[in-house]
Amino acid sequence: MRWLLGLAMLLSFEVFAQKAEARLDCIHTGKDFIYDCVIEIVRQGLPVTDLDVRMSADMPSMPMAHQVKPVRAQATSTPGEYRARLDLEMSGEWAVKLRLAGPLRDQLVLHYEFDERGARPVRRSAKSPRK
Amino acid sequence: MDEYALGVLTNIGLLSFVATSAYLLLIAGELSFGQQAFFGVGAYAAGIATAMLGLPLFLGLLIAMVCGAAVAALVGLPALRLRGLYFAMATLAAAEMLRILFELFHWQVEVGGEIVGPDGTQGFRGIRWVFERGVEPLDFLALVWGMLAVVVVAIHLLERTRLGIAIRALGEDPELAGTLGVDVLRLKLAVVAAAGALAALGGALFAHHNTYIEPRNFDIMLGVHTLAYALIGGLGTVVGPLLGVALDLGLLEGTRIFQGYRMIVFGGLVALLLIWRPRGLLDERVVHWLRTRR
Amino acid sequence: MIDFVQNTLDGVTAGASYALLAVGFTLIFGVLRRANLSYGPAIMLGAYTATWVFLQTGAGLIVLLVVAVLATVLAGSYVERLCFAPHRKGAAAAAMVASFAIWMQLEELATLLLPRHLYAFPALYEGGPLIFGPFFLRVESLLILLAAIAVCFVGWKVLYATRFGIAVRAVIDDPRAAELSGIDVGAVSLRVFAVSSAIGGLTGFLIVSSHEQVTPMLGMWSTLKGMLAMMLGGLGSLPGAIAGGLALGLIEAHSQWYLGPQFRDFIAYLLLFALLAARPPWMNTRSAY
Repeated sequence: MRWLLGLAMLLSFEVFAQKAEARLDCIHTGKDFIYDCVIEIVRQGLPVTDLDVRMSADMPSMPMAHQVKPVRAQATSTPGEYRARLDLEMSGEWAVKLRLAGPLRDQLVLHYEFDERGARPVRRSAKSPRK
Repeated sequence: MDEYALGVLTNIGLLSFVATSAYLLLIAGELSFGQQAFFGVGAYAAGIATAMLGLPLFLGLLIAMVCGAAVAALVGLPALRLRGLYFAMATLAAAEMLRILFELFHWQVEVGGEIVGPDGTQGFRGIRWVFERGVEPLDFLALVWGMLAVVVVAIHLLERTRLGIAIRALGEDPELAGTLGVDVLRLKLAVVAAAGALAALGGALFAHHNTYIEPRNFDIMLGVHTLAYALIGGLGTVVGPLLGVALDLGLLEGTRIFQGYRMIVFGGLVALLLIWRPRGLLDERVVHWLRTRR
Repeated sequence: MIDFVQNTLDGVTAGASYALLAVGFTLIFGVLRRANLSYGPAIMLGAYTATWVFLQTGAGLIVLLVVAVLATVLAGSYVERLCFAPHRKGAAAAAMVASFAIWMQLEELATLLLPRHLYAFPALYEGGPLIFGPFFLRVESLLILLAAIAVCFVGWKVLYATRFGIAVRAVIDDPRAAELSGIDVGAVSLRVFAVSSAIGGLTGFLIVSSHEQVTPMLGMWSTLKGMLAMMLGGLGSLPGAIAGGLALGLIEAHSQWYLGPQFRDFIAYLLLFALLAARPPWMNTRSAY
């Protein structure tokens, strides 16, 4: 039974995955709330090619309720660049999740603020976001 | 099964831990707006255990449950004599205090050349224990549901024992239960701690599924939502809260036509449902009817 | 010393908004013995509707005030009929969870009306703040304070000098006895809900026009602050609601000054938790349902 396998995983040995960094560049397509995004993936400064990139998004508040359907990004002619269309439920801050497979295994979470123009990276201050 | 469906099923499992935690308190007669904080305690505790202290996941989960129970008991003790809305507001206040503490919590260590650890409002990245061992989404799903199944069976069996009946008696009429020999305060504290441990277990699994947690994941929205799931699923059986979670995540995620109107539809349905069934779909009457048909 | 006085001034003016919110919550709680989790969102929907009208027609402040109040009253009545009237004899949990479900519904309705994160709202007062020596007081804040006082006065008059007021006080005191005396508790509840929503609509209008902006956080914010203030002042008492609101404002202003913005909220919650745990006699912990 697969759940026994899962239990066995609890005690298995280590296999290190490599780390990568990513940047998003998104433009609003005009239809709410669909964005055309270009994902740039680098590792130790060098672009990473031939990756299987799956992008989805979640809202920081209520993290499991707004799951956006994961899309597979297409590689472009530029090395390290991938293209995907993101269909969000609303504007605001989203935690974009990038799952990488292939020559590099990693899972990245990036915070971006989406509005009617595009997406801007978010770096939150120490103050709690009240009114 | 595609990855999206796996993701939804995993999330249903994870939220079920919190919903079941709220259910335990509901059958003991109390509304808690604060279980999300123990979900958070479990998440941070397990994340610290595996990502910073290098412990295996199994130990991380255990530590998470112990921390969840301990913090819940700590918070529950001063609030023990409170009832109704007062108890609910006390849990809300405590949960928000814990969330603010997460925002202020900074502790980072260097692991394998990288800085890892909770960084206040920036969150806690790099909880990659599961990821680094090449555990596939399906395996993790099996783990989550496997543990949930154990919990559900345990609670179901518990409800048939004297202890379980005492808990429900506490929920029905605490004064009467007291006169019948139930140690009301002690039992309530035990339920609070158990519910805390349960939510914490869910949080620990969530942290490893997501690889990243932040204080905002554990705000009031999560708490009130899971409380609603427990109530609409039904208070007659421990499967009730799972049903509630599945209804929201499963049914309405599946019907994408509701996108953008989801809460309007779901909210309205919930309010209507509660008029028809104030104790949820699988309430005590339905469960009794199901049981006595044999 | 100057800072202390200035913070106290700031606290009282912020507290005026909280007091208004708390009064709205307390009216509903006093009569129905339940917390209405949709109160903040109804206020938000009122403010959003007013904003929408402003964007469509550029109407003046008085019109927007009327729109906000009407929209909030409509939303509040909807909540009462759907979430509270059916559960009057039953368990409180169902009513409160239903009100939470409608909270989600109202918030989504509001964001459908106005999808963006920030909207400008016309200013309540176009001039600068009043200056007394080293202290300054915004005119908008003074107006909110005056509104709070006016609401208290009118409320006191209605409660103690009208037949409706007697009915409300009877229901607050003991709903079953009131019913036995022939009072239509259902009708009283609906009207109290409407009054409470009207006050909420007014409060929402005052808040967004004094800040000159509208954000989706208004719903949750109003609910939290209102409930906090209500509980700090002792559940179910109107003077307590006002005291609780002012106290909350003062606590926040001073905590923020001495301890920083994050502790502002922390101290308020800590105080509430400590008060609940200690259960002082004036807190009226008699059956909360």
